[in-house]
Amino acid sequence: MEVLKSAFDFSDFPKIDLCVAGAVGAFLLVFPALPHSGFTMATMIQFLMFSVYGMGWNTIGGYGGQVDLGKAQYVGIGAYTTAVMMIRWDVPFWVSMPIGMALAVGWSFMIGYPLFRLRGHYFAIATIATSLILKDVFESWSFVGAARGLKIPIKGEMPNFLFLQFRQDYYYYYIILAFFFIGLFYLNWFRHSRIGHQLRCIKDSEDVAQSLGIDAHWAKIKAYATATAFVAAVGSFHACYNFNIEPEDVMGLDLSVLIALMAMLGGAGSLFGPIIGAAILVPMKSFLGAWLGARAGLIGLDLIIYSTIIMAIAAFEPRGIWGLITRLRQARRN
Amino acid sequence: MEHLLIEITKALVSALFMGMVFGLVALGLTIIWGVMDIVNFAHGEFLMIGMYAGLLTALILKVDPLFGLPVAGVVGFLLGVACYYGLVKFLLRGPMIAQLFGTFGLMLFLRNVALMVMGADPQSAHQGVLVGKSFVIGPGIVIELTKLAAGGLSVVAFATTWWLMNRTEIGRALTATALDAQAARYMGVPTEKMNALAWGLGGVTVGMAGALLVNFWPVDPNVGLLFTMIAFTTVALGGFGSIPGAAFAGLIVGLVINIAPIWDSIHAFLGPTSFQGGQLHQFKYSFVYLAYFLIMVLRPRGLFGWKY
Repeated sequence: MEVLKSAFDFSDFPKIDLCVAGAVGAFLLVFPALPHSGFTMATMIQFLMFSVYGMGWNTIGGYGGQVDLGKAQYVGIGAYTTAVMMIRWDVPFWVSMPIGMALAVGWSFMIGYPLFRLRGHYFAIATIATSLILKDVFESWSFVGAARGLKIPIKGEMPNFLFLQFRQDYYYYYIILAFFFIGLFYLNWFRHSRIGHQLRCIKDSEDVAQSLGIDAHWAKIKAYATATAFVAAVGSFHACYNFNIEPEDVMGLDLSVLIALMAMLGGAGSLFGPIIGAAILVPMKSFLGAWLGARAGLIGLDLIIYSTIIMAIAAFEPRGIWGLITRLRQARRN
Repeated sequence: MEHLLIEITKALVSALFMGMVFGLVALGLTIIWGVMDIVNFAHGEFLMIGMYAGLLTALILKVDPLFGLPVAGVVGFLLGVACYYGLVKFLLRGPMIAQLFGTFGLMLFLRNVALMVMGADPQSAHQGVLVGKSFVIGPGIVIELTKLAAGGLSVVAFATTWWLMNRTEIGRALTATALDAQAARYMGVPTEKMNALAWGLGGVTVGMAGALLVNFWPVDPNVGLLFTMIAFTTVALGGFGSIPGAAFAGLIVGLVINIAPIWDSIHAFLGPTSFQGGQLHQFKYSFVYLAYFLIMVLRPRGLFGWKY
């Protein structure tokens, strides 16, 4: 009960923020009823998926300040668990998703335990290294389809809620929207919770945190496992939504970076940051890709624009858009 | 049996020359890291640009890419200094996460500019005085002249850099900046310029490494990430900020990458029926990543490091 109360307690945000958030939430709920193209729908689903990825990343990367650039390995574990179980043993999504999450969390403990002895850059690079090793393994492991990946066959009639197979995209949309709201309320609880406060303390100074009696190593491992569970759940959803997974898509470094980048662009360590980041980057990426990518000679131009934005954000406002908003507010108040 | 020995010797020789060039790739990273405590994710992209610089010089002048070495060095220097004044200077004010993402953005930027300008196809050098020439030392062991020249020139580059860092005024100023930037500033060292110089020097060494590497490694815009990871591993193993460390660790990393081919040849010798352990070469780079992981966990200071 206490937990629920804390999860729905947004009282520390200004009223205007809550109004905007409520309006956005209402828009998300009614979006499928509004006129839209298939492309817009796909972009919205991508946006919701990346928001949840970003929320997961935010627990360890934002509140904990540990830059993790290997989240894609957990997306991959979630996606592959679901796909393999569905193809080989006919296991429904709702069973394979928790199993995928459990496997991913188990793996995160195994690599998190040694990794969190490292700090800063060293940790970030080590997460990339583990992620690339796992990708290499999946690319040559024939049980999971090696480099060609896996294709999920269509099971019986649609709509199929057990296996998450639908002809219309709005079914997928509402399922991922449910994930999104669960994630949002969980994170709202998380930031008030004991572990949330511990993590922020560790972010400011790990030595001080240790001297206050916080077990920094264990707190970081727990936050890392939380982040992993989020990411693996959406990974499972990704497998069902795309029907087709390849190591390069679900485990590549690009995905890891994208996840971290969205959270960072919106503002790492704030509740709404990852959502803002995803809301900007996902549409930008898919529309720019669709407009420019198709033209000959302009290959890569979308990524050039996109990387310029990253560099500008990193150079001038490393706290992201949320940091910008906070700064403007303070300026007005003074 | 003899065949096996020849295979292994071949792999070892190849490991040796590759390792020398890897050491040179890592040298630039270790200078930047040592002086400024910043990671450069775009390091592999610097290398890629050095490779293209060497290759284009070779194609235009119709000589070996080796003769593109000075051009690649100059391009690398300009690139390094431009990156420092254009981006890194601003990143230094922010937290560590900003440095990570800033250089990551730089990496994406350089890669896609190269993609736009040069196209996605891998290119390699096919002509020149040394290409295709080789000499034989012992039965079946062939050394390609390009690899030998690349190895030799990396040794020269290492010696020069070591001399520059340890025996000259500039090197002393760089070391002072690395040890304590504030104190160095009080002593009249222009630390801002030293930082730029560190990026320039890093660019020179990695650019030259690119011109050497393109002799036996085809270049495409996506080649960078692999070498960024190899360079990180080499620097981690050698110790952050150590020049002899980079040289020595480069050789070890060259060996590690060649574990898989050596293992595969032993396996081919034992025959396919004995046990199913073949096809390890698919994991050739995983060994590098694993090596990084193990070094960081077991000995984060590296072999010769003084800073971590």
